[in-house]
Amino acid sequence: MTTIINATNIHRKFGEGNLVTHVLKGIDFQVKQGEFVAIMGRSGAGKSTLLYQLSVLDQPTEGSVVIDDTDVLKLNEKERTSFRLNTLGYIFQNYALIPDLSAEENVMVPLLMKGLTWEEARSKAQKSIDDVGMSGKYNNLPAELSGGEQQRISIARAIAGKPKILFADEPTANLDSVSGQQVIDLITTLNRENGQTIVMVTHEREYAVNCQRVVHIEDGKIVDEERLR
Amino acid sequence: MRNLRIGLLLGLRQIQRANKWTTLLIIFVMMFTFLNLIAVSGILVGLITGAERAVKAEALGDLILTEKDSEDRLLDTESILRELATYPEIEAFSVRYTGGGELEAHYKERRSLTAERDIAQVTVTGVDPILEDQMSGLSDTVIKGEYLDPNEEGYILIGYYYLEEFAEQFGDIFDTIANVEPGDTVRLTVGDISKELIVKGIIQSKVDQVSLNTYITEREFRRLFGRLDRNADQIVIRVKTPGTEATLKEAFVANGLDRLAKIQTYDEGKPKFITDIKNTFNTLGSFIGSIGIVVASITIFIIIFINAMSRRQQIGILKGIGIERRVIEIAYVFQAATYALIGSGLGALLTYGFLIGYFEKNPIHFPFSDGILVAPPEETFIRFLVLFVITLIAGFLPAWMIVRQNTLNSILGRK
Repeated sequence: MTTIINATNIHRKFGEGNLVTHVLKGIDFQVKQGEFVAIMGRSGAGKSTLLYQLSVLDQPTEGSVVIDDTDVLKLNEKERTSFRLNTLGYIFQNYALIPDLSAEENVMVPLLMKGLTWEEARSKAQKSIDDVGMSGKYNNLPAELSGGEQQRISIARAIAGKPKILFADEPTANLDSVSGQQVIDLITTLNRENGQTIVMVTHEREYAVNCQRVVHIEDGKIVDEERLR
Repeated sequence: MRNLRIGLLLGLRQIQRANKWTTLLIIFVMMFTFLNLIAVSGILVGLITGAERAVKAEALGDLILTEKDSEDRLLDTESILRELATYPEIEAFSVRYTGGGELEAHYKERRSLTAERDIAQVTVTGVDPILEDQMSGLSDTVIKGEYLDPNEEGYILIGYYYLEEFAEQFGDIFDTIANVEPGDTVRLTVGDISKELIVKGIIQSKVDQVSLNTYITEREFRRLFGRLDRNADQIVIRVKTPGTEATLKEAFVANGLDRLAKIQTYDEGKPKFITDIKNTFNTLGSFIGSIGIVVASITIFIIIFINAMSRRQQIGILKGIGIERRVIEIAYVFQAATYALIGSGLGALLTYGFLIGYFEKNPIHFPFSDGILVAPPEETFIRFLVLFVITLIAGFLPAWMIVRQNTLNSILGRK
């Protein structure tokens, strides 16, 4: 399998002078295409910060990140936005849906941005919503959906554009255990049936058991790595 | 096009899901800003337009024939009148003879030659009462007594500015006579000739040419002033179809009337100060209105800023999932544009559907005019464009400020 993410010597510092906080301290991290990797660690260990560097939402203070043969640190802001649109998918812990848009429109917006026509985007959005088991909820506003349902729509939005890599930042953090397990099952299915590359941050071991690899972070460094499958 | 489409979708949905009372408030702010912009200058200009309209209706008409620069009077007035009779475009006209005289009241009660005389230097206009009334509606201005009868002689109409009791409000500006009522006798002296006249009526108008004037019949005038050649000082004409005076003037010139008289349309003949005051009031109105625009743009800025700030996380998410900054800016500019359009639309509806008609029927009474609301559509459109563009900028700036913030910080709510 080819390496789709290759992050080398990643450092991330916040603040200036005496107030500098060194969150990531020289992390090397690779993900192969089709892999489902979990990043685990205690609160404050730096797992989400690592995810943000890998997912082009933030820029490391030092190091390099190559995704799908693109050195993302060399991209300007407009190119990074376009790269995120065309290559990456995101699932945030707070669902991150736009409250003014219906479920269907939430999924459609990135598709329209990709240049699809209204009808194409709508059709793809509905199929994606169907795929996450939310048929019939196209016109519901996020506020009319439960937390688990909102996260499913968030997943539908993330996968509708068929991203090369799906990043999930603690996708079960705000869900009850039943909804959380359903979301994890859905993400696992995406990996197993579609070969979707997934990088997920979680602090709950039970949700990482379906991953192929678990990377443990502590104090800004990778301290352990286990291969589950 | 793609950015525009998505921006409009986001903007439209934000408006649809926004708090209805807030939206209503913003639209009201925009509507009143529009009205402020249109109505303030419109009423200021309307004061002058009202005065101008009255001067046109009651004094100067649509076309004015006066003496040529090298002459004292209209040449061959009889020929001019015969020529005028052939134009069906003319609705009414009046031939006026003017001169100055001394009007004296209460001379019979004067006990000694050293006692102060009650006199006023006045303008005297000789008219055909019927033609003048058709032309200027002079009989409508009579507030006491009666209008002149063409078959009677020895009567005079006196403009109320010449009467002390009416002119008091203006201080000592005007030369006046005191306590004169219809039926009283006054003496009009022109050079060495004096004639006793009975006051037929007192006339009142907001047009100085009427209120600061006295009227007698033209026969009486010619005799009193020795104007036996029948050459008049002024002929004023009203056309049947307003706006056709320039065409009629061209016809007059083509038929050689300009050899006998100077021919001017109202716009050419009106005093320049009227245009100057009108322009000054317009500028003043625009200035006052522009303060309204500044207030409205700040209001829109604050509203959009608060709106965008409260949606900072959503903006971050949109950027995070690959939506371009320009799309998000379009969404906010669209909102501002919608508020401006609806507010201005309502303002325009109110202005043209109600206010102009209302002020037409119920003018604001000022001493020198009846103020109306003047809002020419082309000027209104320009003012609307100014308001619209400024609103767009006021909507764009806060969106631009917030959209350019760090994406991750926006998503996480960090400063």
